[in-house]
Amino acid sequence: MLEYIVKRIFIFIPTLIIISMAIFFLNLMAPGDPVESMLNLSSGGEAGGNMADKMSGEEAYLKKRAELNLDQPIFYFALTSKAYPDTLYRIPRKWHRETLHKMIGTYGNWEQINAYYQELQSFENDVIQVKRDSLNPKALIKIRENIGNLYNNSEEEKVTKYFSNIESYIDDAPSTMALSGSFTALKDAHNAVLTKATKWKTKIPKFSWYGLKNQYHIWFSNFVQLDFGMSLQDKQPIAHKIKSNIAVTMTISLLSILLTYLIAIPLGIFSARNKGRFSDNVTTTVLFVLYSLPNFWIATLLIIYLCSPENLNWFPPYGLGEFSEGMNFFQKLGVRAYHIVLPLFCWTYGSLAFLSRQMRGGMLNVLGQDFIRTARAKGLEENRVIYKHAFRNSLLPVITIFGNVFPAMISGSIIIEVIFSLPGMGRMLLNAIVFKDFPVVFTLVLLTAFLTMLGYLIADILYAVVDPRISYK
Amino acid sequence: MSNDLNKEANELNKGVNDLKDEQVQLAINNSNDEQSYWSNVKRQYKKNKRAVFAIYVVGFLALIAIFADFLANEKPIVCKYEGKISAPVFKGYMVDAGWAKWPKQFQNVEWKDLDYDFAVWPLIPYLPTNLDFRNDKFVGPFEKQNVKSRKWRHRLGTDQLGRDVLSGMIHGTRVAFLVGIVSMTIATFIGILLGSLAGFFGDNELKTSRASIIFGALFFFPAVFYGFTSRKYDINNFGQFLLSLLIFFGIITLGIFIGKLFKKIPVLGKQVAIPVDILITRLIEVVVSVPVLVLVLAITAVLSKPSILYVMVIIGMVRWTGIARFTRAELMRQKRLEYIEASKALGFSRVRSLLKHALPNSLSPVFIAVAFGVAASILIEAFLSFLGVGVPVETVTWGQLLSASRKATDAWWLAIFPGFAIFITVTMFNLIGEGLTDALDPRQKR
Repeated sequence: MLEYIVKRIFIFIPTLIIISMAIFFLNLMAPGDPVESMLNLSSGGEAGGNMADKMSGEEAYLKKRAELNLDQPIFYFALTSKAYPDTLYRIPRKWHRETLHKMIGTYGNWEQINAYYQELQSFENDVIQVKRDSLNPKALIKIRENIGNLYNNSEEEKVTKYFSNIESYIDDAPSTMALSGSFTALKDAHNAVLTKATKWKTKIPKFSWYGLKNQYHIWFSNFVQLDFGMSLQDKQPIAHKIKSNIAVTMTISLLSILLTYLIAIPLGIFSARNKGRFSDNVTTTVLFVLYSLPNFWIATLLIIYLCSPENLNWFPPYGLGEFSEGMNFFQKLGVRAYHIVLPLFCWTYGSLAFLSRQMRGGMLNVLGQDFIRTARAKGLEENRVIYKHAFRNSLLPVITIFGNVFPAMISGSIIIEVIFSLPGMGRMLLNAIVFKDFPVVFTLVLLTAFLTMLGYLIADILYAVVDPRISYK
Repeated sequence: MSNDLNKEANELNKGVNDLKDEQVQLAINNSNDEQSYWSNVKRQYKKNKRAVFAIYVVGFLALIAIFADFLANEKPIVCKYEGKISAPVFKGYMVDAGWAKWPKQFQNVEWKDLDYDFAVWPLIPYLPTNLDFRNDKFVGPFEKQNVKSRKWRHRLGTDQLGRDVLSGMIHGTRVAFLVGIVSMTIATFIGILLGSLAGFFGDNELKTSRASIIFGALFFFPAVFYGFTSRKYDINNFGQFLLSLLIFFGIITLGIFIGKLFKKIPVLGKQVAIPVDILITRLIEVVVSVPVLVLVLAITAVLSKPSILYVMVIIGMVRWTGIARFTRAELMRQKRLEYIEASKALGFSRVRSLLKHALPNSLSPVFIAVAFGVAASILIEAFLSFLGVGVPVETVTWGQLLSASRKATDAWWLAIFPGFAIFITVTMFNLIGEGLTDALDPRQKR
């Protein structure tokens, strides 16, 4: 038994690691630059501002990037082509990196591309240093706009278009004419990229090893130590946010699980004992209907009909209620209970119906077996047959479901918490998704996966405890 | 004398033979009475009245889904306008497919305001996206509506922008069925593929030489590289993606093939088993460990543009595990049966006995999983559009209509009807799933 548990836990760890990798790479695909979101910058927004602004902005960007560990290589190793330098991850801006990556993929000559990138930066600096006068403001703004476009695009036609745009504005004012030198250098650099293209380099594979200091490793080892990073939305530590949201979800779901098992098991047994009778038919039908009723529909209906002044105003439509001063413990409990009734109902009825049906099925299955007939034949009274012999055996399907309790808890909490505006984990997840707050989203997804696997582990172990016939050798 | 005896014996023999024939015929007749497996299942299924009823309801809903454009549309089905008879709804299909263009008199017109000689209108003369400004801000089905005549009434009311709710319900049926069918097709394909591999080959029946494994693994990285990494910026459509897959599997196959050349070398040529079952069960465990809903939400958040197609594909990609498990379990049972043994003895290849013999006999439980799967995917889609995540705003769905009721608590028609539609559809598919479970259960007395 102990051996089995240990073995089971050993399987649990690699599975968790694989899941974490999958989630990490999903996170990489997320749109947007997290550093820019943290600094409240709009993407690629570089027009306007002077040199000092730019420098301090760059500094802040680099600092934030290092803080978020985004200046590290992504994974332990990378499979790229010979055309790519090992150090591409050191280019700070995500958008620039993507453009350069694409350019290397198309032309395969990093040396020239890098030179072009340097030229582009120095041209930008030159443009920023041009003093404003009455003649040039429009030209300066337009040129910088086009520079921003050059940073984000690499297709040949687009680049040519932006170049010709810049060219047309450069002649606008005498102050901008001075830029033509560095602009020619930029154009030459881009020409070099085109003429000295080494596309063949992209066809030769290269394997680079980065070691333990990489984004995934840091992210996952922090995760294991319960350091989940920062939320992009309100710049708070995610662990802190979870701490303030978990209580509601935990309370309601624990209550819900308790209620489910307390009602479902006796109901299932009752239904199975009266199989074919009127009471069983009624219970089975009601349970089937409950099982199929989408809980977000019921919750919406309940809010409309039981919580609004136009109809019955019996329950509060949202929140957990406020405490007024001088309330004692029981009054406070009353306020909470009053607010929790409807969400708890919507949260519970589905799983309650499901579990009862499973319990009934399991019980019927057991009651049809030979050893029950034997027990009856030797004259045991019915209750003893049911509770002593049949009950334990019919628990197996119910235990399997215990593994599903955790995932059901999290996905169930999303809709109920959103509809009833409860400050819990589900609402936090949905908020994060709506606001594209990816660190929070993926932390919650990984936590959910972890809890789910824990649920399955517990279910497997319980299985072994209840049914001694099962050996896990 | 002896001749007579012979004759007698012959006659007796003949009699015996006749008797034998008769018995054989009887046996055949009997077996016809017993009927085939599927007609048995059908009979068993028909005993369940609720499940049969569910089939009819689903059929009815499917008809609504198919003919949604003819039931609720802003264009007339047939009309005579400026002396010409035309069928605008049908024509609309041709225009959408790019095979035809609207004639001049119908370009950018408000269909309802045209002066027809005659027109046959759909039952509901609105598209779910039509904004009726004279009846906006939640007009109920029984309230006074600002319409020309009874025919133009919004029979189930309107929403805030004056969109017809009944029309939305009808077109929502189509979305729901599409989601159910597309996502379950994807899920069934993946599920049967992986489930049958795991179930049929198990952990020690897919054998290959060590050299093949080594070379296959060695060629994995070049396969990834030439298939995907170096083609990263070439893959911009589905054809390119298929080409990438082809390159990927081609290189791996090449590796395995090179491995085969080393068959004769003692250490490298040793046959070892690939633990297919362990690998696939682990994969199922990984996918199952994140709740479908959370996974779908997270993936839709990553996608830059919401699209109902993405939602279908994602649901299909994460909901295959049940089907895979069913197939795996059934194949494990089937492969121990004698007929597989027999096909082995006849010298058929493993792949042939899998594809032609074991798999067709193992698919029945898959139907159960698919029926429940359709119900679940319709529910997930409704849930997503209720939350307004992943499904574009301009696609009218049941979930979206229902969520509109949260903004107007007195618009009861928005709360009742779409929710009821979701409920009925989900329930009917669940009933079918239950009916199939009972009908396919071998323990049932036939």
